[in-house]
Amino acid sequence: MLRRLTSLVLFGLLTLPSAALAAGEEFNPEHDFEVGEWIPIHLGPLDLSINKAVAYLFLGTLVTIGLGLALMRVKVGSKNEPDRKQAVGEMVYEIAQTQVAEQGLPSKAIGRWFPYVASLMLFIWVLNIISFVPLPLSNERFDLFGVELPTLALYAATSSISVTLALAFMTFVFTHFEGLRYNGPVKYFKSWIPEVPKAMYPLIIPLEILGQFMRLVSLSVRLYANMLAGHMLILTFIGLIFVLGNLYIAPFVIGAATLFYLFEVVIVVSIQAFIFAALSAIYIGTAIEPEH
Amino acid sequence: MSLTLLAATAAGNTDAGKAIALALGIGLGSLGAGIGIGNIFGSMIQAVARQPELRGELQGIQWLGFALTEAVVFYGLIGGLLAFVLV
Repeated sequence: MLRRLTSLVLFGLLTLPSAALAAGEEFNPEHDFEVGEWIPIHLGPLDLSINKAVAYLFLGTLVTIGLGLALMRVKVGSKNEPDRKQAVGEMVYEIAQTQVAEQGLPSKAIGRWFPYVASLMLFIWVLNIISFVPLPLSNERFDLFGVELPTLALYAATSSISVTLALAFMTFVFTHFEGLRYNGPVKYFKSWIPEVPKAMYPLIIPLEILGQFMRLVSLSVRLYANMLAGHMLILTFIGLIFVLGNLYIAPFVIGAATLFYLFEVVIVVSIQAFIFAALSAIYIGTAIEPEH
Repeated sequence: MSLTLLAATAAGNTDAGKAIALALGIGLGSLGAGIGIGNIFGSMIQAVARQPELRGELQGIQWLGFALTEAVVFYGLIGGLLAFVLV
Protein backbone atom coordinates (compact mmCIF):
# COMPACT_ATOMS: atom_id res chain seq x y z
CA MET A 1 0.00 0.00 0.00
CA LEU A 2 2.69 2.43 1.07
CA ARG A 3 4.80 1.49 -1.91
CA ARG A 4 1.91 2.05 -4.28
CA LEU A 5 1.21 5.43 -2.71
CA THR A 6 4.84 6.46 -3.04
CA SER A 7 4.92 5.50 -6.69
CA LEU A 8 1.71 7.43 -7.27
CA VAL A 9 3.17 10.53 -5.63
CA LEU A 10 6.39 10.14 -7.60
CA PHE A 11 4.43 9.83 -10.83
CA GLY A 12 2.43 12.89 -9.86
CA LEU A 13 5.70 14.77 -9.45
CA LEU A 14 6.35 14.15 -13.12
CA THR A 15 3.62 16.61 -14.06
CA LEU A 16 5.43 19.39 -12.19
CA PRO A 17 7.90 20.28 -14.94
CA SER A 18 5.04 20.99 -17.34
CA ALA A 19 5.24 24.65 -16.30
CA ALA A 20 8.85 24.71 -17.38
CA LEU A 21 7.90 22.95 -20.60
CA ALA A 22 5.33 25.63 -21.33
CA ALA A 23 7.95 28.35 -20.98
CA GLY A 24 9.31 27.23 -24.33
CA GLU A 25 12.88 28.27 -23.63
CA GLU A 26 15.37 26.48 -25.81
CA PHE A 27 17.31 23.91 -23.82
CA ASN A 28 21.05 24.28 -24.03
CA PRO A 29 23.30 22.36 -21.68
CA GLU A 30 26.23 24.66 -22.49
CA HIS A 31 24.60 27.47 -20.50
CA ASP A 32 25.35 25.68 -17.28
CA PHE A 33 29.06 25.98 -17.95
CA GLU A 34 29.12 29.76 -18.35
CA VAL A 35 30.82 31.22 -15.32
CA GLY A 36 29.40 34.75 -15.47
CA GLU A 37 30.95 37.63 -13.56
CA TRP A 38 29.84 38.24 -10.00
CA ILE A 39 32.34 40.75 -8.64
CA PRO A 40 34.27 42.31 -11.52
CA ILE A 41 37.98 42.85 -10.81
CA HIS A 42 40.00 43.99 -13.82
CA LEU A 43 43.70 44.74 -13.51
CA GLY A 44 44.60 46.13 -16.91
CA PRO A 45 44.32 43.23 -19.34
CA LEU A 46 44.00 40.74 -16.47
CA ASP A 47 40.51 39.57 -15.62
CA LEU A 48 40.51 38.52 -11.96
CA SER A 49 36.76 38.67 -11.49
CA ILE A 50 35.07 36.53 -8.91
CA ASN A 51 32.81 34.19 -10.86
CA LYS A 52 31.11 30.87 -10.38
CA ALA A 53 34.29 28.84 -10.86
CA VAL A 54 36.15 31.01 -8.33
CA ALA A 55 33.32 30.59 -5.82
CA TYR A 56 33.53 26.82 -6.25
CA LEU A 57 37.30 26.97 -5.81
CA PHE A 58 36.92 28.94 -2.56
CA LEU A 59 34.33 26.46 -1.35
CA GLY A 60 36.55 23.55 -2.36
CA THR A 61 39.49 25.06 -0.49
CA LEU A 62 37.44 25.50 2.65
CA VAL A 63 36.08 21.95 2.47
CA THR A 64 39.58 20.55 1.87
CA ILE A 65 40.97 22.41 4.88
CA GLY A 66 38.00 21.26 6.94
CA LEU A 67 38.47 17.66 5.83
CA GLY A 68 42.15 17.80 6.67
CA LEU A 69 41.48 19.21 10.12
CA ALA A 70 38.65 16.78 10.81
CA LEU A 71 40.33 13.62 9.56
CA MET A 72 43.98 14.14 10.41
CA ARG A 73 43.84 15.81 13.82
CA VAL A 74 43.09 12.75 15.91
CA LYS A 75 44.12 12.35 19.51
CA VAL A 76 46.48 9.42 19.51
CA GLY A 77 46.05 6.96 22.35
CA SER A 78 42.92 8.50 23.77
CA LYS A 79 40.95 5.37 23.02
CA ASN A 80 41.88 1.75 22.68
CA GLU A 81 40.38 1.29 19.25
CA PRO A 82 40.66 3.76 16.41
CA ASP A 83 37.29 5.25 15.61
CA ARG A 84 35.77 5.62 12.18
CA LYS A 85 37.09 9.14 11.58
CA GLN A 86 40.63 8.02 12.24
CA ALA A 87 40.20 4.98 10.00
CA VAL A 88 39.06 7.17 7.08
CA GLY A 89 41.91 9.59 7.67
CA GLU A 90 44.43 6.77 7.72
CA MET A 91 42.97 5.29 4.53
CA VAL A 92 43.31 8.61 2.70
CA TYR A 93 46.85 9.02 3.99
CA GLU A 94 47.79 5.50 3.02
CA ILE A 95 46.47 5.89 -0.54
CA ALA A 96 48.33 9.18 -0.86
CA GLN A 97 51.52 7.61 0.45
CA THR A 98 51.67 4.11 -1.02
CA GLN A 99 49.68 4.53 -4.23
CA VAL A 100 50.64 8.06 -5.22
CA ALA A 101 53.86 9.29 -3.63
CA GLU A 102 55.86 6.07 -3.40
CA GLN A 103 54.91 5.01 -6.93
CA GLY A 104 56.31 8.14 -8.51
CA LEU A 105 58.69 9.95 -6.23
CA PRO A 106 62.18 8.72 -5.34
CA SER A 107 62.64 8.25 -1.60
CA LYS A 108 64.90 11.28 -1.21
CA ALA A 109 62.16 13.58 -2.53
CA ILE A 110 59.15 12.15 -0.72
CA GLY A 111 59.57 14.39 2.32
CA ARG A 112 59.47 17.49 0.16
CA TRP A 113 56.84 16.54 -2.41
CA PHE A 114 54.46 14.24 -0.52
CA PRO A 115 52.50 17.22 0.90
CA TYR A 116 52.07 18.64 -2.60
CA VAL A 117 50.78 15.49 -4.29
CA ALA A 118 48.62 14.54 -1.32
CA SER A 119 46.94 17.95 -1.12
CA LEU A 120 46.56 17.94 -4.90
CA MET A 121 44.74 14.62 -4.68
CA LEU A 122 42.49 15.74 -1.82
CA PHE A 123 41.76 19.14 -3.38
CA ILE A 124 40.81 17.76 -6.78
CA TRP A 125 38.73 15.06 -5.15
CA VAL A 126 36.84 17.66 -3.11
CA LEU A 127 36.34 19.90 -6.16
CA ASN A 128 35.00 16.93 -8.09
CA ILE A 129 32.73 15.67 -5.37
CA ILE A 130 31.14 19.05 -4.56
CA SER A 131 30.41 19.39 -8.26
CA PHE A 132 27.88 16.57 -7.91
CA VAL A 133 26.08 18.19 -4.99
CA PRO A 134 23.36 20.60 -6.13
CA LEU A 135 24.39 23.96 -4.68
CA PRO A 136 22.65 27.35 -4.90
CA LEU A 137 25.55 28.93 -6.78
CA SER A 138 24.13 29.11 -10.28
CA ASN A 139 23.67 32.21 -12.42
CA GLU A 140 19.96 31.57 -12.94
CA ARG A 141 17.44 32.96 -10.47
CA PHE A 142 14.01 31.90 -9.43
CA ASP A 143 11.38 33.65 -7.39
CA LEU A 144 10.44 32.30 -3.96
CA PHE A 145 7.83 34.43 -2.17
CA GLY A 146 9.26 37.58 -3.68
CA VAL A 147 12.89 36.74 -2.92
CA GLU A 148 15.27 36.13 -5.82
CA LEU A 149 17.23 32.98 -5.12
CA PRO A 150 19.79 31.19 -7.27
CA THR A 151 18.61 27.84 -8.54
CA LEU A 152 20.24 24.65 -7.36
CA ALA A 153 22.68 23.48 -9.99
CA LEU A 154 25.56 21.13 -10.64
CA TYR A 155 28.80 22.76 -11.66
CA ALA A 156 32.39 21.62 -11.43
CA ALA A 157 35.23 24.08 -11.09
CA THR A 158 37.33 21.37 -12.74
CA SER A 159 35.09 21.48 -15.81
CA SER A 160 36.67 24.83 -16.60
CA ILE A 161 39.92 24.50 -18.55
CA SER A 162 41.49 27.47 -16.74
CA VAL A 163 41.35 25.70 -13.40
CA THR A 164 42.83 22.41 -14.59
CA LEU A 165 45.43 24.22 -16.68
CA ALA A 166 46.54 26.21 -13.64
CA LEU A 167 46.86 23.00 -11.61
CA ALA A 168 48.77 21.29 -14.43
CA PHE A 169 50.99 24.35 -14.83
CA MET A 170 52.01 24.11 -11.17
CA THR A 171 53.13 20.53 -11.71
CA PHE A 172 54.91 21.56 -14.92
CA VAL A 173 56.87 24.32 -13.16
CA PHE A 174 57.75 22.15 -10.16
CA THR A 175 58.87 19.32 -12.44
CA HIS A 176 61.43 21.41 -14.30
CA PHE A 177 62.46 23.36 -11.22
CA GLU A 178 63.24 20.16 -9.33
CA GLY A 179 64.88 18.58 -12.35
CA LEU A 180 67.20 21.54 -12.73
CA ARG A 181 67.90 21.76 -9.03
CA TYR A 182 68.82 18.11 -8.53
CA ASN A 183 70.62 17.43 -11.81
CA GLY A 184 71.87 20.77 -13.12
CA PRO A 185 70.84 22.07 -16.53
CA VAL A 186 73.17 20.00 -18.74
CA LYS A 187 72.44 16.63 -17.19
CA TYR A 188 68.74 17.37 -16.90
CA PHE A 189 68.16 18.40 -20.50
CA LYS A 190 70.31 15.52 -21.68
CA SER A 191 68.05 13.14 -19.77
CA TRP A 192 65.14 14.15 -21.99
CA ILE A 193 66.75 12.54 -25.02
CA PRO A 194 66.35 8.76 -25.18
CA GLU A 195 69.15 6.49 -26.34
CA VAL A 196 68.84 6.45 -30.09
CA PRO A 197 71.32 6.57 -32.99
CA LYS A 198 72.74 10.07 -33.52
CA ALA A 199 71.13 10.28 -36.96
CA MET A 200 67.71 10.24 -35.35
CA TYR A 201 68.42 13.32 -33.18
CA PRO A 202 66.89 15.97 -35.49
CA LEU A 203 63.65 14.00 -35.39
CA ILE A 204 63.70 12.99 -31.74
CA ILE A 205 64.74 16.23 -30.04
CA PRO A 206 61.83 18.40 -31.25
CA LEU A 207 59.44 15.57 -30.45
CA GLU A 208 60.76 15.22 -26.90
CA ILE A 209 60.56 18.97 -26.30
CA LEU A 210 57.02 18.97 -27.69
CA GLY A 211 56.29 15.98 -25.47
CA GLN A 212 57.15 17.96 -22.35
CA PHE A 213 54.54 20.54 -23.30
CA MET A 214 52.04 17.89 -24.30
CA ARG A 215 52.16 16.68 -20.70
CA LEU A 216 50.69 20.04 -19.74
CA VAL A 217 47.90 19.57 -22.25
CA SER A 218 47.18 15.95 -21.46
CA LEU A 219 47.18 16.50 -17.69
CA SER A 220 44.77 19.42 -17.86
CA VAL A 221 42.53 18.22 -20.68
CA ARG A 222 42.08 14.78 -19.12
CA LEU A 223 40.54 16.18 -15.95
CA TYR A 224 38.67 18.99 -17.70
CA ALA A 225 37.13 16.81 -20.39
CA ASN A 226 36.19 14.07 -17.95
CA MET A 227 34.27 16.42 -15.71
CA LEU A 228 32.76 18.38 -18.60
CA ALA A 229 31.60 15.25 -20.37
CA GLY A 230 30.23 13.75 -17.15
CA HIS A 231 28.14 16.81 -16.35
CA MET A 232 27.09 17.29 -19.95
CA LEU A 233 25.92 13.68 -20.14
CA ILE A 234 23.74 13.99 -17.03
CA LEU A 235 22.31 17.34 -18.13
CA THR A 236 21.66 16.07 -21.64
CA PHE A 237 19.76 13.04 -20.43
CA ILE A 238 17.58 15.11 -18.12
CA GLY A 239 17.21 17.72 -20.85
CA LEU A 240 15.82 15.14 -23.28
CA ILE A 241 12.51 15.47 -21.43
CA PHE A 242 12.37 19.14 -22.33
CA VAL A 243 13.75 18.80 -25.83
CA LEU A 244 11.32 16.10 -26.83
CA GLY A 245 8.56 17.65 -24.70
CA ASN A 246 7.44 14.24 -23.55
CA LEU A 247 7.01 13.38 -19.89
CA TYR A 248 6.60 9.65 -20.40
CA ILE A 249 10.25 9.17 -21.26
CA ALA A 250 11.13 10.71 -17.87
CA PRO A 251 11.48 7.41 -15.98
CA PHE A 252 13.96 6.13 -18.56
CA VAL A 253 16.08 9.23 -18.92
CA ILE A 254 16.12 9.91 -15.19
CA GLY A 255 17.15 6.31 -14.65
CA ALA A 256 19.94 6.66 -17.18
CA ALA A 257 21.01 9.98 -15.70
CA THR A 258 21.07 8.44 -12.22
CA LEU A 259 23.23 5.58 -13.48
CA PHE A 260 25.72 8.00 -15.01
CA TYR A 261 25.60 10.11 -11.85
CA LEU A 262 26.49 7.10 -9.73
CA PHE A 263 29.22 6.06 -12.15
CA GLU A 264 30.72 9.54 -11.99
CA VAL A 265 30.49 9.88 -8.22
CA VAL A 266 31.72 6.39 -7.37
CA ILE A 267 34.44 5.88 -9.96
CA VAL A 268 35.36 8.89 -12.10
CA VAL A 269 35.67 11.46 -9.32
CA SER A 270 38.18 9.44 -7.31
CA ILE A 271 40.04 8.07 -10.33
CA GLN A 272 40.63 11.49 -11.81
CA ALA A 273 41.87 12.94 -8.53
CA PHE A 274 44.14 9.92 -8.06
CA ILE A 275 45.45 10.06 -11.64
CA PHE A 276 46.23 13.75 -11.49
CA ALA A 277 48.20 13.34 -8.27
CA ALA A 278 49.90 10.11 -9.39
CA LEU A 279 51.00 11.56 -12.73
CA SER A 280 52.26 14.71 -10.99
CA ALA A 281 54.30 12.52 -8.68
CA ILE A 282 55.63 10.48 -11.60
CA TYR A 283 56.57 13.58 -13.59
CA ILE A 284 58.35 15.19 -10.65
CA GLY A 285 59.98 11.87 -9.74
CA THR A 286 61.36 11.21 -13.21
CA ALA A 287 62.70 14.77 -13.39
CA ILE A 288 64.54 14.31 -10.08
CA GLU A 289 65.87 10.88 -10.94
CA PRO A 290 66.05 10.36 -14.71
CA GLU A 291 66.05 6.74 -15.77
CA HIS A 292 69.42 6.83 -17.49
CA MET B 1 25.39 14.57 -28.55
CA SER B 2 22.03 13.52 -29.95
CA LEU B 3 20.77 16.88 -28.75
CA THR B 4 23.18 18.74 -30.92
CA LEU B 5 22.09 16.52 -33.75
CA LEU B 6 18.41 17.21 -33.18
CA ALA B 7 18.94 20.92 -32.85
CA ALA B 8 21.14 20.95 -35.90
CA THR B 9 18.72 19.16 -38.20
CA ALA B 10 16.17 21.75 -37.31
CA ALA B 11 18.60 24.58 -37.92
CA GLY B 12 20.11 23.65 -41.23
CA ASN B 13 21.83 21.02 -43.29
CA THR B 14 25.40 22.26 -42.86
CA ASP B 15 25.09 22.04 -39.11
CA ALA B 16 23.56 18.60 -39.45
CA GLY B 17 26.54 17.45 -41.47
CA LYS B 18 28.91 18.77 -38.82
CA ALA B 19 26.90 17.12 -36.07
CA ILE B 20 26.95 13.78 -37.86
CA ALA B 21 30.70 14.10 -38.35
CA LEU B 22 31.15 14.90 -34.66
CA ALA B 23 29.03 11.96 -33.56
CA LEU B 24 30.80 9.58 -35.94
CA GLY B 25 34.19 10.83 -34.83
CA ILE B 26 33.46 10.35 -31.16
CA GLY B 27 31.86 6.99 -31.82
CA LEU B 28 34.91 5.73 -33.68
CA GLY B 29 37.18 7.24 -31.03
CA SER B 30 35.38 5.45 -28.24
CA LEU B 31 35.74 2.20 -30.20
CA GLY B 32 39.50 2.28 -29.69
CA ALA B 33 39.28 3.26 -26.06
CA GLY B 34 36.70 0.55 -25.45
CA ILE B 35 39.07 -2.09 -26.78
CA GLY B 36 41.87 -0.64 -24.68
CA ILE B 37 39.87 -0.60 -21.46
CA GLY B 38 38.67 -4.13 -22.11
CA ASN B 39 42.26 -5.20 -22.53
CA ILE B 40 43.30 -3.60 -19.25
CA PHE B 41 40.57 -5.21 -17.19
CA GLY B 42 40.97 -8.53 -18.98
CA SER B 43 44.68 -8.59 -18.21
CA MET B 44 43.95 -7.58 -14.63
CA ILE B 45 41.55 -10.48 -14.19
CA GLN B 46 44.11 -12.89 -15.62
CA ALA B 47 46.87 -11.50 -13.44
CA VAL B 48 44.81 -11.73 -10.26
CA ALA B 49 43.63 -15.23 -11.18
CA ARG B 50 47.26 -16.33 -11.48
CA GLN B 51 48.61 -14.47 -8.48
CA PRO B 52 45.85 -13.25 -6.17
CA GLU B 53 48.35 -11.90 -3.64
CA LEU B 54 49.47 -9.20 -6.09
CA ARG B 55 46.01 -7.65 -6.28
CA GLY B 56 46.81 -4.59 -4.18
CA GLU B 57 49.91 -3.71 -6.13
CA LEU B 58 48.24 -4.24 -9.48
CA GLN B 59 45.20 -2.17 -8.64
CA GLY B 60 47.08 1.12 -8.74
CA ILE B 61 48.55 0.33 -12.14
CA GLN B 62 45.16 -0.83 -13.36
CA TRP B 63 43.42 2.45 -12.51
CA LEU B 64 46.31 4.44 -13.92
CA GLY B 65 46.02 2.56 -17.20
CA PHE B 66 42.25 2.85 -17.17
CA ALA B 67 42.31 6.63 -16.77
CA LEU B 68 45.06 7.08 -19.36
CA THR B 69 43.12 5.01 -21.90
CA GLU B 70 39.76 6.53 -21.10
CA ALA B 71 41.13 10.04 -21.53
CA VAL B 72 41.74 9.33 -25.22
CA VAL B 73 38.01 9.47 -25.91
CA PHE B 74 37.82 12.84 -24.27
CA TYR B 75 40.65 14.22 -26.36
CA GLY B 76 38.57 13.14 -29.34
CA LEU B 77 35.47 14.73 -27.83
CA ILE B 78 37.20 18.04 -27.15
CA GLY B 79 38.76 18.01 -30.61
CA GLY B 80 35.38 17.27 -32.15
CA LEU B 81 33.65 19.99 -30.16
CA LEU B 82 36.36 22.47 -31.11
CA ALA B 83 35.94 21.56 -34.77
CA PHE B 84 32.17 21.80 -34.41
CA VAL B 85 32.27 25.25 -32.82
CA LEU B 86 35.15 26.79 -34.79
CA VAL B 87 34.76 25.50 -38.34
